[in-house]
Formats: sequence, C-alpha cells, structure tokens
Amino acid sequence: MLFLQSLLSGILTGGVYALAGIGMSLVFGVMNISNFAHGDLMMLGMYLAYFAFTLLKIDPYLALLLIMPITFLFGFMLEKVFINRVINHPHQNQILLTIGLGLIMSNTALLAFTSDPKILTTTYSSSAFNSASGISVSVPLLLSFLITCAITAILYLFLSRTRTGMALRATSQNREAAQLMGINVAKMSAIAFGIGTALAATAGALIAPTYYIHPLAGHSFLLKAFTICVLGGLGSVVGAGVGGVIIGVVESMASTYISSDWKDVVVFMLFLAVLLFRPQGLFGKKGGQ
Amino acid sequence: MKKQLTIIAIVAAAAALLPIIIGENPYITGIMISMLMMAALASAWNILGGFAGQYSFGHAAYFGAGAYTTMIVLSRLNPNPLFGIVAGIIVACIIALVTGSIVFRLRGHYFGLASIAVAEIVRLSTLNFEFTGGAQGILLSDVSLWGIDLNSKNPFYYGMLLLLVVTLSITVWLGKSKTGYYLQAIREDQDAAASLGINLAFYKKKALLISAALTSVAGSLYAVYIRFIDTSAVLDLRLSIEIILTAIIGGVGTLWGPVIGALLLVPLAEVLRSNVLGDLLVKLGLVSETSGIGIFLKENLAHAHVLAYGIITVLCILYLPKGILGLFRRVK
Repeated sequence: MLFLQSLLSGILTGGVYALAGIGMSLVFGVMNISNFAHGDLMMLGMYLAYFAFTLLKIDPYLALLLIMPITFLFGFMLEKVFINRVINHPHQNQILLTIGLGLIMSNTALLAFTSDPKILTTTYSSSAFNSASGISVSVPLLLSFLITCAITAILYLFLSRTRTGMALRATSQNREAAQLMGINVAKMSAIAFGIGTALAATAGALIAPTYYIHPLAGHSFLLKAFTICVLGGLGSVVGAGVGGVIIGVVESMASTYISSDWKDVVVFMLFLAVLLFRPQGLFGKKGGQ
Repeated sequence: MKKQLTIIAIVAAAAALLPIIIGENPYITGIMISMLMMAALASAWNILGGFAGQYSFGHAAYFGAGAYTTMIVLSRLNPNPLFGIVAGIIVACIIALVTGSIVFRLRGHYFGLASIAVAEIVRLSTLNFEFTGGAQGILLSDVSLWGIDLNSKNPFYYGMLLLLVVTLSITVWLGKSKTGYYLQAIREDQDAAASLGINLAFYKKKALLISAALTSVAGSLYAVYIRFIDTSAVLDLRLSIEIILTAIIGGVGTLWGPVIGALLLVPLAEVLRSNVLGDLLVKLGLVSETSGIGIFLKENLAHAHVLAYGIITVLCILYLPKGILGLFRRVK
C-alpha cells in the first residue's frame, strides 16, 4: 500500500517536473544552450501565481492563462536581448550568461519580495481524494498533473502539426540545414526560449499551491530539470517527459524508503549513474561522447 | 619562465611587506586575506578551466572538503592544523578522482553539469550526516601551531599569500611543461589532441587533481582562520560561481587574470556588504536616512552584492568575454 501510494504521488509530482524538463530540453535542442536560469524562471512562475491569487483573486490554475503568454513574451525578449548574442560562443560563456541572468532574477526577487517564504493557500490546497483501499490523492497535485498532460499534448500537436512547430524541430535537428531551407533560425531560437520560459513558469505556478514560495526556490529545481534532460537525452522532448516522471517516482520512493533528507542526493546519484552508463540518455541520439 | 617567476617573487615580497606598513588593522587585514584567498581559489580553478578548458561549476566541493576535513581532524583527532590540511587534500583528491573518472570521458555540457551534481551531493551529504555537524556546522574553540598566535590575522595573511605564490608558480611551471602543452592542446581541439596520442582523460584528471588539492588548502586555511564553518559558507554553489566569475573578469587562461579579478571583486563585495554605498548616499544628502528609500537601502543593499555579481557576470560575458587582461591584449 505504501509502495502504491508513493508510486502514485511520485508520478503526479513527476508530471510537473516533466513540464520543467520539457521546457529545458526544447531550449537545449533548438539552441544548444544549457539554460541555468531555468529554475529562476520557475520561481518567477511561482510568484506570478501567488500575486495573481492574492492581489487579483484569480485561482492559480486559471491564472495560467495569463502567466503563460506573459512569460512567453518575457522569454522571447530575454532571448532577443541577451541569449542570442552568445549563441555562437563557447558553451561555458552561455552557461555563465544564464547563471548571471538567474542571479539577477533571484536576487531582484529577494530584494522585492524579501526572503520570507510565502504560502499560497487555496480552498482545496490540503484536500484529497481518499479511496477505500487507503490511497489518497492530493487534489492540487492531481489537477497539476492533468493540466501538465493537457499542455504536453498541445505542445506535441504544435510541434508535429504546425509549420512553426516543424520549423522548430528542423532547427533542432540541424541548424545550418534548416537555415539553408529558408527557416528563420534566429526567430525559432526566440520562440523556443519563449516556450521554454513559459513551460518553466507554468511548472512553477503548478507547484505553487503545494510548495513554499521563495526567491531561491528555483535552485533545487534547476538541477532536477537537468537530471530529467540528461536522463531523457539532451534535446529530446519525449525523453524529458518520461524522465520527469521517472525522477518524480525515484524521489518519492527515496523519501518513503530512505528519508526525505536524502531524496535529492539519490536523484543526483542517478544523474551521475546515467552519465556513467548511458550518457546519451534513454531517448537521446548518440553524440554525448 | 624565469621572468614570470621573478615577477611573482617581487609581487609576493611587496605583498609580504603590506601588513607591516599598514600596521595592526584587523578590518583591512581581513579584506586582504579575502582577496588573497579569492585570488588563490580563482588561480587554482584556472589551472583546470584556463589550461584544459574544462569549466568546473562545483569547486566549492573541494573548498568545503578541505574546510570540513580540517575542522573534523582538529576537533576529534589531532590538534595540529598541518594534519588537517593534509587530510583535507586527500579527501578533496578522492572526490576529484571520482568526479574525473565519471565525467572526463564525456564532452561539452556534461562536465559542467556533473561538477555541479557532485558538489550538490557533497553539500547535501554534509548537511545530512551527523559527524559533519549537520545544519549547525562546526565550531572550533582553540587552535595552535608551533606557538604562533593564531588569534591574530597576520599568520593567515601569510598563509594565503604562500598558497597564492605556490599556485601561481605551479601555473607558470605547467605553462612550460609537457603536461601544460597537452592540456592546451586538449582545450583547443580534443580530437586533434587525441589523434596525437594524448590521453585526454588522464591529463584532464591530472589538472583537476592539482586544482582540487590547492582549492582544499584554501578551504583548510579558511576554516582555521574563521573557526566556524557550515555548508552555506563553504559548500554553496554561490562560492563556485564567485570563483569562476573572479577568473573570468580578470581573464581565463592568463597568469595574472584571476589575481586581478580578486583585487576588483572582493573590495566591491565588501563595499556593498558593509553598506558603504548606502551611507555615502546619505552623507552626500542625496537620500534622507529616515525616508522610505533610505531605510530600504539600509536594510537591503547589504544583500545586493549577489545581484551585483549577476549584473557583472552578464556584462562581462557580453562585452568582455576575455576578461580585463584580454582587453589589454586586444589593444596591443
């Protein structure tokens, strides 16, 4: 019973992780950039959901309809102003630039919102479905998971059916060839970064009702998002989805059977193990070596 | 090589005279110790990042390994700080060997990511284990070595200076040695280097070991100097980033770049941290101390130095990717 319970809550949490992982993987695939500001973009989503709820009295899940376009534009602008200038630089410069942007975001949040953690309490924050067999499912986690599934499905359709989506995938497969085919790769990069930002912020908003909202909250999610991407294969969107669920389950199992203090250590160990035994990830193309 | 070593010796001799000129001023000496420590850390990082082009984003792990091992040895096993330093080097090298074995077979983004993962594993384990003091950290009440007064700051000034001189000398020696040439070949083109028969993983590991050992000595000195450590002080990701930033601002891959970076960044952080800027604005009459802005500055500017680091990083990467020394080279 304990096993089923932690499996279930692991899958539900993992779904939200998957969303953050997919955003990062998309950016990596299209732009070949490791985005170290991803966690801080999640933090941004958490605060947006919090202020939408406290100031505008909008339900955090409905607020996504506002948060997604706003953060898409924000990411689009970030790419246009900063990221595209380093797109041909050595990758360590790209990492440092995104670290710098992340530091600016988290510390501006620290100045503006102070370091007191905020809690977003909705009427259903602590409610849960209880089955007769004793398994309980938290309502906000279940809602988040369903929303994640819907967003992932829409993203999948967008990437596979629309012209922009196909152009994005073409850029991801081969940037030069895509450019030769007349695809505006600079625009694709900005769109990819915008979508990545929106997905990170959405993941942040989705976990806001169940986590402490804090300016530095993004840091622990940053490494998780990387682990998900590497596990799924850097640049693979499907892999990131599966990787997210795996990480969620591993984390949940680790806190049930070892201790919640050690769950992050277990996740990072898994990260190193993947690098050691399968560096191309579960779904990645070879080329990590 | 001789010329560079002579310059190092002259600069070191000048630096050694500074405390005598300044006299007994714990505040200034403290800042100078921080500068020397940051210069040594960035120079040690530069051995791996500058020569081999392998950017470690987790050097706090080696600093923390030195600091924690020293504190544990001093408080439980042997009161001689030298034992602590040696033990720290051993632990740091073990961590470096494990990290190197896992990630140096891989390229590109992987080393950076894995170095963070290792550093986070070390940090979280230290936080969760009991023998490391957990979240409370470790406090050391008394320490002595050969009757030297370790309550004064001067011994640590000279300790850090010696470490910096050793690190710079190793950098010079590496630059002229076979290992150094191999590492530079690896940095420029891994495939070409491998095709010439250079054992990539071996030389990268060698550079990482040297870098990690030097970093851990800085951690040991810091621990004995401050006598209190916890994970947020010595194992945080923020420290790793400060080290890289210091090297980048001065100029990665140059001998003096990391030193120049430390001479600039440490005083800047100190100015922001001690709120000199806020006080200055008040004194100049630009901001009233009791007004909303004045109170906001007083309460918050001290936290703003990390924000300043973020802004400097972004500006530096966009406009000065080769650092300050790179700027001069362009002028020539």
